[in-house]
Amino acid sequence: MTESNDSIRDRLKASADQDEQSGSGDTRGSELQTSDFQQTDSRAELPHGEQQTLQRSTLPAPTGLDLDPAARASAERKVAGLFLMSVVGVVGFIATFIAVPFDFGTRFSTAYTPLLGFFMALSLTGIGAGAVLWAKTLMVDEETTQERHHQASAPEDRAAAAAILKQGFQDSGLPRRSLLRNSILLGAGSLALLPLPLFTDLGSWRHKERVLSTTAWRKGSRLLDSLGRPVKIGDIEIGGATTVFPDVPGGRTQARSASLLIRMRPDQLKQQANRADWSVDGHIVYSVVCTHLGCPVKLYEQQTHHLFCPCHQSTFDASNQAKVLFGPAARPLPQLAISVDAEGYFIAQGDYAEPVGPSFWERKPSYDKKAGS
Amino acid sequence: MTVLEKGAEGTATWVDDRLASSNFLKRSLNKVFPDHWSFMLGEIALYSFIILLLSGTYLTLFYVGSSKELIYDGVYTPFKGVPMTAAYASTLDISFSVRGGLIMRQIHHWSALLFMASIVVHLMRVFFTGAFRKPRELNWLIGVGLLVLGLVEGFAGYSLPDDLLSGTGARIAYSIALSIPVVGTWAAFLVFGGDYPGGQIIERLYPIHILLIPGIILGLITFHLGLIWYQKHTQFAGPGRTENNVVGSKVYPAYAAKAGGFFFLVFAVTAGLGGLAQINPIWLYGPYDASTVSAGSQPDWYIGFLDGSTRLMPNWEIGALGHTFSPNVLIPTVVLPGILFTLLALYPFLEARFTHDKAYHNLLDRPRDKPVRTGLGVMSITFYVILMIAGGNDLIATVFHLSINQITYTLRAGLFILPPLAYLATVRICKSLQKSDDDLLSHGIESGTIRRLPSGEFVEETVPLPEPWRVLITNVKTPEREAILAAGHGSQHGSVDGAHGAQPALSPAAPVERGFFRPKNRQRQPVETSDVEQLEGTVD
Repeated sequence: MTESNDSIRDRLKASADQDEQSGSGDTRGSELQTSDFQQTDSRAELPHGEQQTLQRSTLPAPTGLDLDPAARASAERKVAGLFLMSVVGVVGFIATFIAVPFDFGTRFSTAYTPLLGFFMALSLTGIGAGAVLWAKTLMVDEETTQERHHQASAPEDRAAAAAILKQGFQDSGLPRRSLLRNSILLGAGSLALLPLPLFTDLGSWRHKERVLSTTAWRKGSRLLDSLGRPVKIGDIEIGGATTVFPDVPGGRTQARSASLLIRMRPDQLKQQANRADWSVDGHIVYSVVCTHLGCPVKLYEQQTHHLFCPCHQSTFDASNQAKVLFGPAARPLPQLAISVDAEGYFIAQGDYAEPVGPSFWERKPSYDKKAGS
Repeated sequence: MTVLEKGAEGTATWVDDRLASSNFLKRSLNKVFPDHWSFMLGEIALYSFIILLLSGTYLTLFYVGSSKELIYDGVYTPFKGVPMTAAYASTLDISFSVRGGLIMRQIHHWSALLFMASIVVHLMRVFFTGAFRKPRELNWLIGVGLLVLGLVEGFAGYSLPDDLLSGTGARIAYSIALSIPVVGTWAAFLVFGGDYPGGQIIERLYPIHILLIPGIILGLITFHLGLIWYQKHTQFAGPGRTENNVVGSKVYPAYAAKAGGFFFLVFAVTAGLGGLAQINPIWLYGPYDASTVSAGSQPDWYIGFLDGSTRLMPNWEIGALGHTFSPNVLIPTVVLPGILFTLLALYPFLEARFTHDKAYHNLLDRPRDKPVRTGLGVMSITFYVILMIAGGNDLIATVFHLSINQITYTLRAGLFILPPLAYLATVRICKSLQKSDDDLLSHGIESGTIRRLPSGEFVEETVPLPEPWRVLITNVKTPEREAILAAGHGSQHGSVDGAHGAQPALSPAAPVERGFFRPKNRQRQPVETSDVEQLEGTVD
């Protein structure tokens, strides 16, 4: 039994004989050999139509069956050990679940999930590694060759199928009856349109152009900070900035109304003539909605007066009409004209002069001229 | 006969009486699958999808897919009294009130990352080995469909917790929809239920994420596996392996045990990650607020390339004819992925057309043997990786203290310069590897032993190439290899045991002078060489 092209089963048999001689009482080998013959018979009965045959490769497949009995017994113990490890994992998982305090803020609660994960991984590894080791060391796994069947049908089968399709088409009467053909095309075609109206109520898209072009800012709206307090002159230091919302119901949550109030020294502001009265003593308000993809542009760098969008790095110059310095945004952030009311609170002079936020199809290019940018 | 066997036989008989299942079983259990480590990449994708179904189903028991506003009153004290959506509050509850909820959430997220990663690596394996060729183009198309669906599914799931990060992602998606000419505004309002945030998107993404897309994915995976089963798996060339057979293990029992065990191992990895490696800690991001954003916001890795393309795009916008066109948004987020995925889907057909290859292919290519395809693949990967790096340009700038503007300009240039260079370098490397295969074929493996002949000559001994290796190389017939084989080399060449010690181990009939792309003396006819010349060829 030393020739290299022996079947594994033959080697298994020899090895089982060895086992018996060594008194291990392992009879697996002989059982397998019997079943091998049965299997060989059954292979002969494979239907010919399948065009597939199994044959043993002449190459010995690498399996653990070449191991000596002691090594195989050791492999079996290892596999069994791994399977038992998963019991340990499950016990640990349940014990953690019951015994480890879980509530947020209590001691050990931060260890809860890691412990669960550890024990879960332990039990799953036990089953998984055990099965793989079992297959690799103890199972018969010989290299086998199987013929492929043809991917394409035989020409006569193709012809027969085509003939059946053609005949059925003729039998349906469709080619001869043009009224039937035309009416079914029209009927099925119109049926495809039927679901379309059902989807129209998915969105309230009336006045969508106006919705996208306006915000909640109104003439005289006070500027509220994120806690809802009106902001008045002197609340913000030079170099400071705060997010402001219009003093209208729902103004805090309307995504496109959020704005940023920045204060810088008046001489640092480069204002165009037509925007001279849009700011108050170095206080200036821009929309925070990025003109690129709508992220809030709120990272304000007070030394350079740069406004930075963290999503795609568009950079705007807050000291110069929020013009684009860098990045994929194409337009400056719209500026909100503000003034101060009798009590010293900031108010809006009106809504933004142009749509805030990202571009959309209906947005008129003339806005840009109107806004004077 | 044991009780177990009796029971099994009884059940089998009962089933067979009704379904005639034995015929099917007989064939299926004996089905042969070829073995190679790279064939388990697709398995990882399959198993992580199963884990996603299991963990996701658990999460649906607790998650509330609603954007209804409420005041938080749960156990996570930092947010007590904070207004948030029911979706975010229920995600907090899953993380802090449901015992084992956090680990299931994290397993779900890790499996999603693994699912996409294994799909991409599996796709590379299929691409570089030519497994997509006839007759498997349909399965390639299904695979590309699964990749795209996986992207959409991942993005939908990422948006469900309605935290600050995912809300920002949803807002970007809305803005991208707005940029589509003519129908963009309609589409955006339709999907979101009105102007952003619309108050509908969570409610709509939820059934899409848990029912619609997973259902389609499940169906496509079934079809994908069915085709693998029906068409039989491809295999690498080797002894006894031909285009018309499959050499490997039978499904039952060892292959099935290994595959089943591997499922548990993949599950173990995701469970370990889910327990020990924190992912998407939504309680640190806070509830979504349209006026807030955190610096360094990053999408999941598989969206990263689109984020990167958006960051690299110059700020082109055209206002004309009363409308605004936004190439700065449209090109990187709609046009680019459209082109990329179309090219990916069409690749098998394009390659077949340009190489005039209409043959069936059941034997896989080694990447080196198809330099152009491998080059194109590496070129695409380079392009993709640059986009991914660009998606993290802010992090690179922060970590390495570099100017983000300079990084962006560099990556813009790199996006156009590096892929062609990668192509050229890959083709060169492939051809050199082929050449080194030619050398192995004609010389055998250098043993490192120099033998001195009785005549005083020195010759180096070579070991003949092992048969599987030799078959793998000779499966591809290049003119050089034909010449080597015609000269009688490449079979039992070289000497190991010293039995042929009197003969120089190496006697190339046509000494091949190495060039980078091809032998420099390619056209030279094989000539009889003298002993002296042989010796020179041997010990150089």
